[in-house]
Amino acid sequence: MLPTESATRSAYAVGIRAEGLTKQYGDKAAVSDLSFSAEPGVITGFLGPNGSGKSTTLRMLLGLVRPTQGKITIGGHHIAELDDPARTIGTLLDARAIHPHRTAQDHLLAFAHAAGLGRERVDEVLEIVGLTDAATRRAGEYSLGMKQRLGIATALLGDPGVLVFDEPLNGLDPEGIRWIRTLMRKMAAEGRTILFSSHLMSEMELTADNLIVIGQGRLIAESTLDEFVRAHTTQGVTVRTASRVELVRALNRAGIKLEETPDSGLLVHGVDSATVGRIAAAEGIALEELTKVRESLEDIFLRLTHDVTDYGSQPA
Amino acid sequence: MNVIRSEWTKLRSVRSTWIAVLSTISSAVALSVLGSSDLSDVSPTNLPADWDPTAASLDGFLFAQLVIGMLGALSITPEFHNGMIGTSLATVPARSRLLAAKAIVVTAIALVTSLVTTLLTFTGGQIMVSRAGLPAAGIGDPGVAGALIGATLYLTFIALIGAGIGTVTRSTASSLAVLVGALLLVPALGPSLPGFVGEWFARYWPITAGQAAYKVVPMSDMVTPVLGIVILALAAAATTVAGHAAFRVRDV
Ligand SMILES: Nc1ncnc2c1ncn2[C@@H]1O[C@H](COP(=O)(O)OP(=O)(O)OP(=O)(O)O)[C@@H](O)[C@H]1O
Ligand SMILES: [Mg+2]
Repeated sequence: MLPTESATRSAYAVGIRAEGLTKQYGDKAAVSDLSFSAEPGVITGFLGPNGSGKSTTLRMLLGLVRPTQGKITIGGHHIAELDDPARTIGTLLDARAIHPHRTAQDHLLAFAHAAGLGRERVDEVLEIVGLTDAATRRAGEYSLGMKQRLGIATALLGDPGVLVFDEPLNGLDPEGIRWIRTLMRKMAAEGRTILFSSHLMSEMELTADNLIVIGQGRLIAESTLDEFVRAHTTQGVTVRTASRVELVRALNRAGIKLEETPDSGLLVHGVDSATVGRIAAAEGIALEELTKVRESLEDIFLRLTHDVTDYGSQPA
Repeated sequence: MNVIRSEWTKLRSVRSTWIAVLSTISSAVALSVLGSSDLSDVSPTNLPADWDPTAASLDGFLFAQLVIGMLGALSITPEFHNGMIGTSLATVPARSRLLAAKAIVVTAIALVTSLVTTLLTFTGGQIMVSRAGLPAAGIGDPGVAGALIGATLYLTFIALIGAGIGTVTRSTASSLAVLVGALLLVPALGPSLPGFVGEWFARYWPITAGQAAYKVVPMSDMVTPVLGIVILALAAAATTVAGHAAFRVRDV
C-alpha cells in the first residue's frame, strides 16, 4: 500500500533506517550487517524466527543496546539526539515490563510526566486502549491482553510519529489481535511509521504493508507484502507417476528444481502444470496426478528462513 | 524537571517506598527505645566520662540504615527486574539525566525520612533516659543540633549509596547482600583484622566514620564528626559515580 496523500503531507513523516547494523555477543552475531528502512504511512512488519535478532535490532533502535557496528536511526538521528524523544517515538517492547504493584494510571502518569504531559493525556490514552475502567487497578492484576493494551497506551502517550512494537500480537486472543491490527492501520493512515515484529508469517499476512524478513541476524527479504508474495510464491506443481525416476531425470535435464513430498509424490518448483505435462509427454511418461499448488506464506517464510534458522527442526 | 516528576511518580506510586520509609522510622525508634532498657546499670551520680545520650539514642540506626539503603536500591532495581528500564530509557534516552532524576528524588525522600527518623529516635531515646532518672540531652544543648544534622545526613547518604549499589548490581537481592556487608559485617569484622588494616577499618571505613557524625562527645578512637560525614559523603559520591558509569556503558 502506498502512503496516502494526506499521509505524505503529514507532520509525522519520519522514517527508520538501519545501515550495516551489527551486534556481536562474544563470537555470536545476533544481528549481522543489517540494512533496511521503514517508511511513514505504512505498516512495516519485521519478521524472523525465534532468536533471529528482532528484539536486538529494536533495542538498538531505542538506544538500549549499543551496536557493534553500523547504525539505526529515526529520521536520520540516533534516539539520543532527538529533541523530544517521547513525542517522536513510542514503543512497546515487553508487555510484562511493568511494576506489578503500580496502578495503570500511575504507570502512565510517570511516563507522561517524563514527556512533559499530564493527567489529561493519561486519560486520553486509557480511553483509546479501552482501559479507563481498569485504570486504578494494579497492573500486576492485569491479564496479558490488558498488559498489552497498557503497553500500547504507554507508546501512544507522546502522540509520536514512530511506533515500534516488539511482538505486539503475542498471546492475544483473536479480538485483541483484531484490535491492535485496526489501531496500527489507523496510526499508519495518519502518516505514522509503524514497525512491528513477529515470528509468525500469519500475523504479517493480514497486517503488514511492507515486510522485512531476517534470519540469523541477516536480511533475507525487504519488499512490500504483495511483491514478496509474487516473488516467492513459486508456482508449484505436485506430480504423481509410476515412472518417478524417469520423470525426475527429465525434469533435472530441463533444469527444473523439485523435491519429494512425504507421500512419495514430487513437488516441482517454478513452473506451471502445462510445462510439466509437456515434458512428461515428450518422454512418454504417464502421469497419475498433476496438481497446481500454491504455497502458503507460512510455507514461504519457513522455506526462506529454513537454511538460516538456528533451532529449526529437520524436515521429516 | 519533567524527569524528576516522572521519577517521583514512579517512587510514590509503589508501596515498597512507603514501607521502607515507615520501617526506617519505626525500626530506629523501636531499637533506640529497646536499647535504652539497659540504662538501669547507669547511676546518675556516677555517669561514665563519655556519657552521650544523643549518640546512644541514635544507635537505633543499626537496622534503619539497612532499610533506607534498600529504599535507595529499590529506586532502580525493580526496573531492571521487570524490564521497565527499557521504556524509561526510550522515553528519556539521556541516561545521565534519568539517573540524576532518580538520585534527586531518592535524596529528597531520604532526607525527609532521615530527619523524621532522627528527631523521633532522639526524642524517644531521651524520654527513656529521663525515665531512668538520668540527665537527658536537649536539642538546645551544645553539639546536639549538629549531631542531629549529622545523623540526618548519615542516613541520607546511605540511601544514596543504596541507589548506587542498586544501579551497579541491577538486582534487589544483590543490593541487599552488599548493603548487609557494607553496613553491618564490615564495621563489625573489619576492625578485628590485624594491624594497620584493622585500624583503618576501625576509623575510616566510611560507615564507621560516618557514625562519628552524630557523636556529641568526641571519641578518641573515631574521626571527628565533620571528617566522618565528609568521608561518608565521598563514599556516596563514589558509589553514585560508579553506578553512573556502569549505567552509561552497559546495554539494557
Ligand atoms: N544480552 C545478550 N547476550 C548474549 N546473547 C544475546 C543477548 N541478547 C540476545 N542474544 C542472542 O542474540 C540472538 C538474537 O536474539 P533476539 O532476542 O534479538 O531474537 P528475536 O528475534 O527477538 O527472538 P524471539 O522471536 O524469540 O523474540 C539470540 O541468539 C540470543 O540468544
Ligand atoms: Mg524477541
